[in-house]
This record gives sequence, C-alpha cells and structure tokens, in this order.
Amino acid sequence: MYKQIYLCLQQLSRRTICSTARRQVDNMVKEKQKLFQADNGIPVHLKGGAMDAILYRLTMGLTVFGTGFVVYELLSASMPKKS
Amino acid sequence: MAHQAHAYHMVDPSPWPLTGAIAALLLTSGTAIWFHFHSLVLVTAGMILLILTMIQWWRDIIREGTFQGHHTPPVQKGLRYGMILFITSEVFFFLGFFWAFYHSSLAPTPELGGCWPPTGIITLDPFEVPLLNTAVLLASGVTVTWAHHSIMEGERKQAIQSLTLTILLGFYFTFLQAMEYYEAPFTIADGVYGSTFFVATGFHGLHVIIGSTFLAVCLLRQIQYHFTSQHHFGFEAAAWYWHFVDVVWLFLYVSIYWWGS
Repeated sequence: MYKQIYLCLQQLSRRTICSTARRQVDNMVKEKQKLFQADNGIPVHLKGGAMDAILYRLTMGLTVFGTGFVVYELLSASMPKKS
Repeated sequence: MAHQAHAYHMVDPSPWPLTGAIAALLLTSGTAIWFHFHSLVLVTAGMILLILTMIQWWRDIIREGTFQGHHTPPVQKGLRYGMILFITSEVFFFLGFFWAFYHSSLAPTPELGGCWPPTGIITLDPFEVPLLNTAVLLASGVTVTWAHHSIMEGERKQAIQSLTLTILLGFYFTFLQAMEYYEAPFTIADGVYGSTFFVATGFHGLHVIIGSTFLAVCLLRQIQYHFTSQHHFGFEAAAWYWHFVDVVWLFLYVSIYWWGS
C-alpha cells in the first residue's frame, strides 16, 4: 500500500511538473480485491503482506513497552523518595 | 462453511482497539508525568502509538470495504449512523466551550471591568483576517460539494482538482490562523477572554487539521480508483465532517470575533 502511495505521488508530481508527459495512475483495485479475498484464513490486518507483520510487531512492541513503562513510572511516582 | 443469518459485518479479530486504548493510557499518564517530572518519553510514545493505531485501523476498514466488499447497503447505513452520531458528539463538545464563552461574556464580572471585551484586552478586528478565514472556509464548502458532484458523475479529473482545492483552502485557513495566533495582542493567560478565545478557536483549528487530513486520504483514494459514482461513503463522511468544521467556525466568528469584540 505504501509503495502504491509513493508511486501515485511520484506520478502525480511528474504530471503537475511536466504537462506533456502524462501517465495515468494504474487502477490496481482488481488486484487488491484478489489479494484480500484470497481464502487463506489470514486476518485483514496481516493480509497485505510482510509490511503488515512488521508494522504490527512495531505497534505491539510499543504497546507492551509503553504499558510496562507506565507501570514503572506510576509506581515510582507513588514512592515519596524516588520522585 | 457456516453462513451468517444477519446482514451485519462481523470483523476479523483486530489488535487495534487494544493498542488504541494503551495509546490513550500513555497519553494521559504521560501528560501527568510530563507536568510533574519533565519527562516527554511516555507522551511521545503515546502519540506514536496513537498514529500507528489510526493508520492501521482505518487502512483495515478500507481493505474490508473496497477490497473485500463487506460494506453492503445495510452495513453502509450503520456507518452513516455512526458518523452522524460521532459528529453530534463533537457538536456537544463545542457547545460546552460556547457555553463557557457566553457565561463569561454575557455577565462580565467586576474583575474584568464589568464589560466585554474586558478592560485592557485589544481584540482582533473581525473584518480583517477573521473575515478572510470565513471566506476561505465557505469557499472550501463549495469546492467539497463540487468534488462530491464530480465523483457522482464519474468526472475523475474534476473530482481530483476540486478535492485538491478544498484541501489547499484548508491549509490556507490553518496558515492564516497560525499567523493570527502569533500576532495576537493577547494570550491564553489573559484572563477568561484569553482562555475562551484560544481554547475554542484552538480546538476548532485542530478539527480543521483533522478534517484536512481526512480529505487528503480521500484524495489519495480517489486517485487510486477506490470510489465509484454509486459508492463513496468515505468521501461523504469526510465532506460531512468538513461542513461541520465550517459551521463551527461560523458560530465562532459571529460569537467570539464579531459580537465579542
């Protein structure tokens, strides 16, 4: 999806800068529909490919780290000497 | 394979409600930790987590609707109800700040000099930049309606142009308002005038930024052929939100900038 966005912006900026070199943004919806309707049991948040898994792990990692850090910070804030 | 006996969309199990809730936890406790102990780590982590959650959650909704076909007419009806209810809740949010403004301005206390605007406050001229801002937002309401009609009529190029123009007008408003904030002869700390002015217009500005972002996502989706002339609810939701932002500004302009000056 991000490669798509990059390609679109690239094509869009080329189009606005040079009006003679017009290239249509390709309609990839059919391919996307095939990818996301594949009967493989993968949930939608991971179905797009490897990038989905990387982003998911990053997000969940931050979630777990954040939860632990909050507990630490709040515990330390509740102890008179440590604050 | 079992089939459901109802028309509603049962989504796949998703981690984003949990990550969003933790983001809210990090933002709230992080703000408290920042205020008391000067550490920005928690708040920053909360902001990043919130942005990651929003991107992935809404990316998944696009996948479910546009690529998997789950947004059938009954499901779309539910989404419409949802957006309307959300905007209604935002109306009540702003109502509170207008209440605060009218509470203080209709019966100004002796501490303010018994008058509104309070003694010593140099107000902004409502017929200068604020009037331009009004024109900018009203024009953006026209361009977003132009974009809607273009989408419904299958006019791809015009839809892209009018939607781009709407977003640019939104950015122009934000830029002008930022300049006004910088140049204003009063601050948020200047009594109840400053508080009501900057909190009400500040939250409005935040909503302009949110609305512009929503419209920008719609622009990218329009370019990528996601919308059809019959089915483009994401765009309609963004347009509703944008009109709401415009109406709030009109109330702000008339109440705070004009009557309140």
